[in-house]
Order: sequence, then structure tokens, then C-alpha cells
Amino acid sequence: MKRNILVFSEDPRVINEAVYIANILKGNEGKIFGVSKLTEDNDVLSNFDEIHFAKENLIPEQWAKFLIKFYKENEIQYLVSPHTVNNNDIIAYVSAKYNLPMISNATSIKDNDATLIFSRQVLGGRGISYIEVEKSLKLSVTVPIKVYPRIKLDKQSLIKEITEIEKTKITSKGFEEIKKSGFNIENADVVVGIGRGFKSKEDIKLAQDLAEVLNGVIGCSRPIAADYGWLPNDLWIGISSKIIRPKLYIAVGISGAPQHVSGIMDSKIIVAINKDKNATIFKYADYGVVADLYQFLPIFTRKIKENLKK
Amino acid sequence: MVNIATLVKLSLNLNLLKIESDGRVNTADTQLAISEYDKNAIEEAIRIKEKHGGKIVCVSALTWGPVNKKISDAERILREVLALGVDEAHFIIDDVLDNCTPLETSLALASLIRKLGNFDLFIAGESSMDISNSQIPARIASILDIPFVTYVRKVEISENNLILQREMPNGIETVEVPMPAVISVTGEINQPRLPTLRQILQSKNKPLMKYTLKDLGINLNAKLMKQRIEIRPVVRKNIIYEGGNLEEIAQKLVDNLIQEGVIKA
Repeated sequence: MKRNILVFSEDPRVINEAVYIANILKGNEGKIFGVSKLTEDNDVLSNFDEIHFAKENLIPEQWAKFLIKFYKENEIQYLVSPHTVNNNDIIAYVSAKYNLPMISNATSIKDNDATLIFSRQVLGGRGISYIEVEKSLKLSVTVPIKVYPRIKLDKQSLIKEITEIEKTKITSKGFEEIKKSGFNIENADVVVGIGRGFKSKEDIKLAQDLAEVLNGVIGCSRPIAADYGWLPNDLWIGISSKIIRPKLYIAVGISGAPQHVSGIMDSKIIVAINKDKNATIFKYADYGVVADLYQFLPIFTRKIKENLKK
Repeated sequence: MVNIATLVKLSLNLNLLKIESDGRVNTADTQLAISEYDKNAIEEAIRIKEKHGGKIVCVSALTWGPVNKKISDAERILREVLALGVDEAHFIIDDVLDNCTPLETSLALASLIRKLGNFDLFIAGESSMDISNSQIPARIASILDIPFVTYVRKVEISENNLILQREMPNGIETVEVPMPAVISVTGEINQPRLPTLRQILQSKNKPLMKYTLKDLGINLNAKLMKQRIEIRPVVRKNIIYEGGNLEEIAQKLVDNLIQEGVIKA
């Protein structure tokens, strides 16, 4: 059966994250269309039968209105997109126009002959939702970044520029880039997480020292980045920010709110350090220490140093 | 005057999940709770009303059934919403909506919104705490054909325009948009207040209206996609050190981690 797929990403740097799923969904004959912002990346340019680029920055509503037209003109069966804040909004907007169901952040997909079974994280990371749909159903899906393999399809893409841009009532008044840590916590083997147990910004040094002896990086829970602004947003671990899968995650002074826990569930080993023995984080820990972080961290850091020297 | 509709989700209570022996979440017997960030949506609506006047209406749909098991729980939560300072609550109850997707929820909510009249501003939370699809704001905007701005962390109103700060992964974007518009707010936009005793008493006299899909004149097929929710098994060792000498505990922990192969000795 012919199933045309539309892969969209506002940011071309992540569009290939959705190509693996698109390729599974397209069946034998379908075409894969790409829509994104202008890029010169050959890995992107060669992954689509047709790719449509916008040269300028568009407001989400403008992308959505372009996709609404494109969808109809190209007999699309599935709309696929890497899950980002804006992509999810844009795909939801388009889906509403055509009464399409949409699966946000699908972490797995299984071909079950006549049906497809998608799964996604729910209940703040504590649950998995399994959604089974008929293959004939038209639908939309967004997929998390860094979960599916990045593939190369080596196609001869037809490249087109998007020239007709819809009007929008929304005007952008500026963008203030948040300072970045420069660390990539998603790729780190060891992450030390900082929570509200830290009383001041200066105390973060205790966690930095620990991360340093382990060749790791620091990360944090939502309030540390979003409320207090002690650390940049790219170090915020949780369902609405970074999902990490390190070999070792050490949660220090973190209570274990679902928001945070859902971002660390796939870590190989989890260590929790918290002075409250009833803290939820201990339920998710392989090893826990009930102690004041101000007393324990310096000792723990020193012990690791001593053992590494041996 | 700004007339506001807040979109409130009657979420599964994550602290009181009923779990079957096979790991399946029994949604029918799990209590409801107001979704976390919807409290921020209500608080922001109240702050706008205090400054600019107007009316705040809460619209909701019971998407966890069956209705007969959930109705009193839903009413209790919406009374609490009224106690916070919302003027009226309107919600849709229909067994067709049990475990439905955002497609059906948004169609039902949009029908209810149209029935209630004109609003200048729609405010939702950034995502629901149980299912976290974050589709409703954009879907409602699409159906009503008005602009949307999500993940808002600051709202200012100047005449008929909203000046909004959006929390993006890499920074803060400022946008301006005329009303009517749909926005979703983050958990950091404000600190939700608690109702006073007087407000709790007053809430009993405020309108709390129920509608079936038939009352709204719509027919929905919510059988396209059903989800089954299971609890993720947490297989952790749960070795907890408590009390005693911290030097010894630290050494034990280091030994454990070396054994696990996650730090190299």
C-alpha cells in the first residue's frame, strides 16, 4: 500500500531523528517528504524524496498553515516529527485541522501485521501507555530525540523553497539566549544531579568536585534551573527538558518529583543522597545514603579520589 | 475587561494510582486530581482579572470514566477551582470520552467553548501531569482559528495585545499577539495561592454546570485509539545506608560502584 509520509522539523538539525520511523511507516511505495528550515547538511538533503525549505524563521502558526496545505496536496498518511516544544505544537495544530489522532513522544513502535503498537511514557515517567491503531488510520506522531537510530537513505532529493508564507498575528519581539553550560549531559557517562537540598548557588561546587573526580558532569532538577536560575536550562533533567541515560546517576538533595524521575529512569545505576529518609528518590535508587549532603559529599569525593589512586 | 476561559484537566491522581497485579493501571478506580500546571493557569487568570477585570470561566472534560464512578470526584475538584477565584465551571461528562485522546477532548471542549460565548483569552497548563501530550492548546487554537503561544512564563496585557515571554529550551522568546488567543503557562510563571475559608464557602453558590456530548450537539467516535497503561517495573537494588559512620558508608558505596563497573578503581 502507498503511504506518503510528511516529516517536519522546524530545526533541521534534528529532522533525521524522525526518518527511521518514517521509513518504517511508509510501506513499500510511499514517498517521504521533508519540511524544515534551510540547511546545507547532505545527510538531511539525501534522506527525502522531496524536501521543502523555508529560508527565514517562521512562527509556529506559519509552519502549521504551510503544512495544512502541503498535507492535502500530497495525500499524506502519516505526519512524523522529532519531539520538540514547537514541533509538537505545530503537528497538533495541523492534526486538529484534519481530525487526526496524534501520538506525542512515541518511544517505541511495533509492526503487528494489521495494526501498529506505539508506546510512550506517561504518569510522570512511572507508566507506559500502549496505543494500538489500525494501519489504515491516518495519524500523526512525534518521536523523542536520541531514541531511534539515525539512518541514511541516500535519495536524490527534489529540493524546493517555500515561497508562500502565511500571515500571522503573532510578532516576535526578540530572543534572549540563555547562557549555556557547554556540557552535553545527554552523552555523559556520569551525571551528578543537584536538587533543592543545596542551600545556595555557591554550594554547587560540592557537586562539581564530585563530578570532576568521576569525569562526569553536573545536571539539576527543575527548580534549580527554572525557578532559581542557578544553572542553565541545558542542565535541567526531567520530562520537560533533558532525558538522560548515563551509566551512573548520582541524585544529590533531590526529592524525586515525577517531573525529574522520568528523566533519569533509564540510567544504569542510580545513587541517591538525601537527608530525608522518606524522599521518593530512594525508591528509584540502587544505592542510597541518608545523610546531610554538606557532610557526606566531601567525604565521598575524597574516598573516590583515594580509591582511584590505588 | 478580559474574559478568560481556563482549560483544566481532571487528571489521574499520581499519588493514588490503583495498580492491578499484572501491572495495569486501573483508571476506573483511581481518584482524580487537578493537573499540576493547571493551578498555574488558574492563578494567572486570577491575577489578570485582579488587574484588568472580567470574568473567569473554567472548562473541563471528564476523560477518565466511567462517569458514575468519577462524577463526585470531578465535582469536588471543580468546587476547589471555584474556591480559588474562578467564577463559573463548566464540564463535559460522557462515557464516550473515557480514556479518549486529545483529538476527542479538544473537539468536545471547543464545542463547549462555542456554546458559552466569546472569550478573549484561553489559558492552559504547559502539559497534563498524567498523560503529558501537550496537544490541547494548539488543537483548540486550530479549531477556533485563533493564535496560540505555549510555555509562557510571563504575561503582560497592553490594550488588546498580549506581550508574552516564552520559556524555550535555549532561551526566552518575547512575542506579541492580539486577543483572542490561546496560551499555555509553565509551572514557574507564578505561585498558586490557596483559597480562603470565605472563598471555600462562596464556591458552593457558584455555577457548576454539566453537559453531555448530546447537550453540545456533537457526536464523537472515540474508539479509533485506545491506550492501555501499565506501571513501569522499577528494578532497583534499593540498598540504603542510614546512620553510622559516614567515612565507612562512603567507602562501602565506592566499593559498590566499583563492583557495578560504573567507576574504575
